[in-house]
Amino acid sequence: MVKKSSWWLVILVSIVAVSFLAAGCAKKSVVKEEVAGRPAPAVEAKKEEPPPPPPAPPKVEPAPAPAPAPKVEAAPPKAVEPIDLVGLRIQYAFDDYSLSSKAKENLEKLAGWMKQADTAKIQVEGHACEIGTNEYNLALGERRANSAKTYLEGLGIGAGRLSTISYGEERPLDPGHTEAARSKNRRAEFVMIK
Amino acid sequence: MKKQVLFLPALILLTLFLAHHLSAKVYIDIRSPSFRKFPIAISTFQSSAPNQRNMQLGERASEILKNDLDISGFFSLVTPPGSVEKEARPGGSDPPSKPGEDRPATGVESLDFQPWANLGAEALATGVLSLRDGSLTLEARLYDVVKKELIVGKRYIGEITDLSRMVHRFADEIIFALTGEQGFFQTKIIFVSQVGGFKELYQMDFDGRNVFQVTNHKSICLSPRVSPDGTQVAFTSYKFGNPDLFLLNLRTGEEKRIASYPGLNISPAWSPDGKRIALTLSKDGNSEIYTMNPDGTGLTRVTNHPAIDVSPTWSPDGQRIAFVSSRGGNPQIYVMQASGQNIQRLTFEGNYNTHPSWSPRGERIAFDATMGGGRNICLMNSDGSDLRVLTANMGQCEMPAWSPDGRHLIFSATRDGEPRIFLMNAEGTRIKRLTFQRGSDTYPYWIPRLRESSR
Repeated sequence: MVKKSSWWLVILVSIVAVSFLAAGCAKKSVVKEEVAGRPAPAVEAKKEEPPPPPPAPPKVEPAPAPAPAPKVEAAPPKAVEPIDLVGLRIQYAFDDYSLSSKAKENLEKLAGWMKQADTAKIQVEGHACEIGTNEYNLALGERRANSAKTYLEGLGIGAGRLSTISYGEERPLDPGHTEAARSKNRRAEFVMIK
Repeated sequence: MKKQVLFLPALILLTLFLAHHLSAKVYIDIRSPSFRKFPIAISTFQSSAPNQRNMQLGERASEILKNDLDISGFFSLVTPPGSVEKEARPGGSDPPSKPGEDRPATGVESLDFQPWANLGAEALATGVLSLRDGSLTLEARLYDVVKKELIVGKRYIGEITDLSRMVHRFADEIIFALTGEQGFFQTKIIFVSQVGGFKELYQMDFDGRNVFQVTNHKSICLSPRVSPDGTQVAFTSYKFGNPDLFLLNLRTGEEKRIASYPGLNISPAWSPDGKRIALTLSKDGNSEIYTMNPDGTGLTRVTNHPAIDVSPTWSPDGQRIAFVSSRGGNPQIYVMQASGQNIQRLTFEGNYNTHPSWSPRGERIAFDATMGGGRNICLMNSDGSDLRVLTANMGQCEMPAWSPDGRHLIFSATRDGEPRIFLMNAEGTRIKRLTFQRGSDTYPYWIPRLRESSR
């Protein structure tokens, strides 16, 4: 138990470090000029170094990248507390798919739970707001789902337990046409699959 | 869909008068820069058995014809004084002689053209409907008012439900006789409608009539694009969970899945020769544009960039593809050779330009953009010059698609609340709402003429 909690400390520290870094290179703004020249942080990172799985010290990486190796099947079968997947839903800025610190927090909770519920499989659903044609939004939704999936993999969740699907703007959380509604709809959700 | 096919043979066309009037006179030079609208009058169609029902048929027929000719943009409709009130109350019966009205079996001689000439009309369209044993006959004629002679005369025989098709057919004859070009009044539009929680493909006449459901996937269907010969539609559907690409034969109803790679299988676009489909796949980890044969074989990757590449559209010569890419930081329109070479950015204004649609005739690209105070339909030359915002104050305007003659655009707009299909000319004027059913209507695509039904 002691060992485990010190692991978590390391994870936490690394996450804080990474998120500072991410905040540094991708400042979020609704106006979205910031993205110009952005070489696609999260998804891009796919081809780079497999980054720190939990115990490793945080390296200087643009974003947590996947750990493609089947990994860390923690915790023996035991009664795992159910988790509120809806509450872990994460939000994105307009035309953006980078993860906020709040989003990362939720993903860490999810990863922690998935390590206990070690047979659970999760599909990440990427969604977009109604602005722009849905074909582009389908691609954007997929990037959002991939950025979440990649982060979960970086936290040691095996890629085989994660899948993605994009619905673009087809399944709004809030069908309204206000900016508040659109903001809610720029999201990724987590769904348990068999 | 099958119904429609069955009606086709029921519609028999007879040429009333032989082609001695088919001299190549062009009344309206629509290519001329100094083109002026051609003044045409349409008399209310007569019915040989004027019971209440037939009266309505006659008025309906002339309304359909007026609407067609008005949409074409080539004509100014000459309205005889006094007819406005009459048309305002359908079924109003005061058929007493209006100037120049056609009578059953009327020859040119007995028509009085002078009143129409006085109103400034240069052509006059008339029609006579008769209903016998469930068979509907339309005799329709187009006269040159100035020369007092017949230009076109046709007789159409069909079922009563064929009325609008007969009139559209005659409207095409008028366009051809006066301009030398093919009209589009017999063409149809395919679109996506959300009814009862599902998005399915629907089809309708170009003017919004005769709507019917095409797919029944009980899922989300998107991006219908019809082959250049008008027979097959490629579209994305979540029928099996993932957004896969399907091909549906509009005549036989036969459907097959032609792309089901992991990730996105979206935004199909037919090459002008119908031999390739450009599409977007994300199977390699990132959305890229590919081309393939319509049966799904011969897949070739075209773009290669870590940003989003999506929504290809072909130039009419099939040599180039315009598409959307976020490689500049936000979605903009780019163009490249169909091989993927020589990528150039076309749009630099606005930060959200999507859904390019290349005119089937010439070097213009329509797209939707956050410009002009909202989401609007824009038009530019295919080198990016002469950018214009076509729509204003119509809510979110998206997904433009061209008419076969390249003179009109259809698109989706939230002007009246939920998204509906609208039609306008390529200058952004003469806007008409086409859909009125429940639900929301998006992704309009104009079905090209069936090649077989060429004249």
